[in-house]
Amino acid sequence: MIKETIEITNKLGLHARASAKLSHLANSFQSDIYLVYHGDRVNAKSLLGILTLAASVGNPITIETDGKDEKEALNQIVNIFQSKFDEES
Amino acid sequence: MIKAFIITHGNLGKELVEVARSILETPIDIECISFDWREDGTKTLNKIQHNLKKYEDDDIIIFTDMFGGSPTNICFQFDRKNIEILTGINLPGLLKFLTYKDKKINLKALVKEVKKGAIDGINVIGEYLGEKKS
Repeated sequence: MIKETIEITNKLGLHARASAKLSHLANSFQSDIYLVYHGDRVNAKSLLGILTLAASVGNPITIETDGKDEKEALNQIVNIFQSKFDEES
Repeated sequence: MIKAFIITHGNLGKELVEVARSILETPIDIECISFDWREDGTKTLNKIQHNLKKYEDDDIIIFTDMFGGSPTNICFQFDRKNIEILTGINLPGLLKFLTYKDKKINLKALVKEVKKGAIDGINVIGEYLGEKKS
């Protein structure tokens, strides 16, 4: 299992559309993928699971990936956060 | 294949589907049927029957807006082995359905998951924050 903690930088945080993009991306990997936010740990492949975090801008979130493609999964998920889910210019 | 319908008062179903489509950024194949409260239900009933006939061999899930409301009441007669009817559909429930429907689970298990998603999506923020603080 590998993990990385990053800061949420997009203004709206993990809102519905960002969470949908994130869960869609997570579902494209075989690895188990979890998000840890303020002590809560949810399956990143579940849209509603991600939404329960109510994760907002400026806060740290940890991405955990575990499985065959864990490195690629972690990279791409970190990237989608860093690209602010392509919703800000 | 699981075919879904939303039967609601007015345009509630259409709006829910439109919002879900915007969130998921994907086309959504759900038939929306509006119950017009100016009629006695015959028109809506005919529409439902006509649509269900097209999908006789499929598993079907019918979402309605409120238990006890006309859109739900006229659906009681359709409850059978390959049809599940879930009342009180909301956005979390609909999103749960749309993100779970392609997983290999049967209709009964799917409708249970959707119901759970819909209920879990209802929160009192003060209680939620209270739990977080304690």
